[in-house]
Amino acid sequence: MSFLRSILLVLVGAVTVPAIGQQFTSPPTPAATATAPDSAAAPKVDESALRFFASQGDSRRLDAEIARLRALYPNWQPPKDLFSPTPDQDPDLARLWQLFSEGKFSDMRAAIAQRQATEPDWTPPAELMTRLDEGEAARRLVNASEARQWASVLRIATDAPGMLVCGNMEVLWRVAEAFVRTDAPKRALDVYTYILNTCTNPEERLATAQKAMQLLDGPDLDTLLALERTNPDGTREFAGLRDDLLRTRVGRAAQDASATVTAEDLAGLETLARGGTAADDALVLGWYAFRHGDAARAVDWFKLALDRDGGAKAAEGYVLALAATRRALQAEPIAYQWRESGADNRKAYIDIMAGLLSTSPPPRLDQSVVARFAPVVSEDKSAAGAQALGWYAYNTGQIGTAASWFGTAAQWAPDDEPAAYGLALAAARLKDKATLDAVVGRWGTRSDRILALVSPEARRRLASRPASVAVPPSAPATPPSRPQLPVQLNTPVSEPGYPAPLAAATSPEPGAGRASPSSGGRGPGQCAGSTEAAFRSGRISGEDAVARGWCLLDLDRPMEAVDAFDLAFRISTGRVAEDAAYGKSLAYLRLGLTNQAQVAAVETSQPSARAVELSADLLSQQAVAAYRDARYVEAILALDERSRIAPEQQDLMMIRAWSYFNLRDFPSARRLFEALQAAGYTEAGAGIDAIMATTRKWRS
Amino acid sequence: MRRWVNRALILAGLLLPAVFAQPSAVHALPRSASLAADDWAAYRARFVDPSGRVVDDANGGISHSEGQGYGMLLAYLAGDRGSFERIWSFTRTELLIRDDGLAAWRWDPAADPHVTDINVASDGDILIAYSLALANQAWNEPRYKRAATRIAQALGQQAVRREGGRLVLLPGVTGFSASERQDGPVLNLSYWIFEAFPVLAVLAPDVDWTGLAASGRELLTLARLGPAQLPPDWLSAPANGPLVPASGFEPVFGYNSLRIDLYLLRAGITGTDVQKAIRNNWFVANGGVPAIVNIPTGKALARLSEPGYRMLAATLACAVDGTVIPADLRRLQPTHYYPSTLYLLSLSLVSEKYPKCLS
Repeated sequence: MSFLRSILLVLVGAVTVPAIGQQFTSPPTPAATATAPDSAAAPKVDESALRFFASQGDSRRLDAEIARLRALYPNWQPPKDLFSPTPDQDPDLARLWQLFSEGKFSDMRAAIAQRQATEPDWTPPAELMTRLDEGEAARRLVNASEARQWASVLRIATDAPGMLVCGNMEVLWRVAEAFVRTDAPKRALDVYTYILNTCTNPEERLATAQKAMQLLDGPDLDTLLALERTNPDGTREFAGLRDDLLRTRVGRAAQDASATVTAEDLAGLETLARGGTAADDALVLGWYAFRHGDAARAVDWFKLALDRDGGAKAAEGYVLALAATRRALQAEPIAYQWRESGADNRKAYIDIMAGLLSTSPPPRLDQSVVARFAPVVSEDKSAAGAQALGWYAYNTGQIGTAASWFGTAAQWAPDDEPAAYGLALAAARLKDKATLDAVVGRWGTRSDRILALVSPEARRRLASRPASVAVPPSAPATPPSRPQLPVQLNTPVSEPGYPAPLAAATSPEPGAGRASPSSGGRGPGQCAGSTEAAFRSGRISGEDAVARGWCLLDLDRPMEAVDAFDLAFRISTGRVAEDAAYGKSLAYLRLGLTNQAQVAAVETSQPSARAVELSADLLSQQAVAAYRDARYVEAILALDERSRIAPEQQDLMMIRAWSYFNLRDFPSARRLFEALQAAGYTEAGAGIDAIMATTRKWRS
Repeated sequence: MRRWVNRALILAGLLLPAVFAQPSAVHALPRSASLAADDWAAYRARFVDPSGRVVDDANGGISHSEGQGYGMLLAYLAGDRGSFERIWSFTRTELLIRDDGLAAWRWDPAADPHVTDINVASDGDILIAYSLALANQAWNEPRYKRAATRIAQALGQQAVRREGGRLVLLPGVTGFSASERQDGPVLNLSYWIFEAFPVLAVLAPDVDWTGLAASGRELLTLARLGPAQLPPDWLSAPANGPLVPASGFEPVFGYNSLRIDLYLLRAGITGTDVQKAIRNNWFVANGGVPAIVNIPTGKALARLSEPGYRMLAATLACAVDGTVIPADLRRLQPTHYYPSTLYLLSLSLVSEKYPKCLS
């Protein structure tokens, strides 16, 4: 701290405060301070200002001047001849007062100095000089205050204490603020108290209380507000302010989850909100409830605010509160309607849609709800929105579309692991090895689950993590309404200058929209046809074996496809053998068997029992991992695939049952649980209980 | 060798003027009314508005503490008490609002609030305090003396500092010191208004104005940089390094430095190396007019032919050789605020100290 600064502090502490404080704390006799008249009986009062204002017909300044002189000289009475022709014969003085009333202080200074230069004995009236000094000081003080030079404000006030009167309200307010800014709130309280005890202008009194509310709080503020007067109509002058104060308090806490208000405050504002017609109070109450964990209550307040034309903020709150009470579907129309009203509204819309779409199993959505979301996502380049569309497409079997949306999401948010994971998953399903490898190359070292898509080793690692598969699910996110027809999704709109996310995914997979999660739709015979018998007996051409392999792969039965490709590879040469090798690698890919050693182990004519064991093991891990990630459809798919090559153990059946449960396929789940229970697998009882609890709740 | 010679000169210079030891020897101070009334009237009409604001018309009509200080000094020199009061009223009310008692340097009529930079330009404060002190002596106004004293003391606290191993005048209160800039302190040698220091020393004797004057003259000698041997407007003067043009500023002997010779002459200082370098540049290299000179190359970027700038060269020639002031420079031809100001300061110097140049 500089020497000067400490001097200023001393000045403020030791000189300013007593001087100004005295001024404010002794309002009944302010004359006793600086300019005490030497003779109270016959004061020599300079009435030139008074006469000037009277001659100008400036009644506001005239009244202020009379009040000021009365305060200075308690025994003084205004002259009766104020409005008679002024006895003042000096034309310069009239001109000077004229300049004063116009605030032309520089001109006054120049005129006075000029006259003194030519007339050294002339002295201007003391009253004129005092008023000029005070006028300049007031202006300077305001300038210092604007520049936030608070010590300067206080020094200027100290040097011209005469200006600290009700007629200079602006100055008083700024002095009070300067005290607050220099950590002397008690002195500010003195100033405000002085104003409320002394000054009478109703608007200025109200404004004073408002300013005090911004700068002071607690008991200091209560002390001030206690100085309120009763209006002629019997109302209290700060009644409205007290409501504002209440609003401020609750409003502050509504922004800050860690701040609370008293029950009285809350009840007070609730009364105001119900009694009023404006949306503001309801809005504040909505946010307060929402940020303090009472979303259900928040829904009601936001609804009220919305009904009262509370606008975008009310809509945003309503949407968020509904979503928080698991009513996102109900919120969607409002969210969509207000999406253009502001960044927050748009975010709220995208967030609830993203939440809705990412739910697994996918909720039943109206075609239009999804359709109108996609353009918003494209427009905003919302990675979260694109990813959600990706999951929705994925969960409804539209894998190509899913890949496209995941690709878009990954492009918009290159460091977002879930988007990359979605893309990798979809690419694996699409046998798009190039994309899968690209994602794994980028993410393999950072994401175990992405690596696990190509590495059995990583899969095993993931699966070995402690996890209880038989965890009953949380409360249902959406009403059960299976079976349902998922909405057909469109791929993202390619904008000019934006490359299509994935060339391969410009259209959904044929028929994918209606693909059932279980693989029972198409029988194995469809691929076998006339070649089935030939294949079994080994009498089949290489080309036919390759065709059979592709067909089986299309049916999502890669294990059998591997056999077909393998046969083709052994009996063919040239192009057919190449096709077979390629098909086989894709089939392995589909199985997640991309690890070179594993592929080699399987390929170099391992005993087939060992190969089956290996694959079954891998599929078990895959199912467990999918279940743990809440990807229940995938879990069932993996189990289906595994069941074709190996019998399903009881623990895997439990996973299957819980997967059905989570997919709201209660009949299937119940069948399994009951079978398991009958077989002595006691943990299955929990599943039956969960089904009963859930279905009973929905029916009630 | 050269450095030793220079140091010796500086020491000799310190011993010579009695003003340093004997402040009452105010015969060296500029007289009030040394400026012709009509020249001042023309300036006033052009650059001083009724509120007392000195308008820098070449800078978007803004005002600054330097301009207000110049206005007050010129009003004093013209013996115009009314205008002095007018300009001082504005200066005090609008600029002298800082907590530390110094003036905010920049005031913009188009901005609200008008003060758009609360920082200080210390030469402005020096000019204001100096003018107030002169006016007090001439017109016996204790108000002026009180105000001048406050400013002088505040300058001592805020701007006159030991930085980079020297006593220096920081150009502003923030942004120039060694702790605030890597190449700090950054100085402006044209802020050393030498004629003011003995006067301020009377008001604020605790501040080492004598030492400040000495360091200013030493820096002027040492900061003759580049082929033209001229000081840059903005000089980096670090403790353990050479004097170089400050980074972030154009490395020029520019509009700031143009007035260095005038300030030296007004303080009664003649014949220094920097004055010789300036004279050489103006008269040998640039045909008798001041120039903006690039420090690294020594090349002139612009020759300044406005009357106010030519008057600087004419004053230099007058002081050195007694060359008479050309006929077209005998009257103010108001062009812009800055050259017109330099013109009047030059003219008042010539008429007071070298009246023969006007005969």
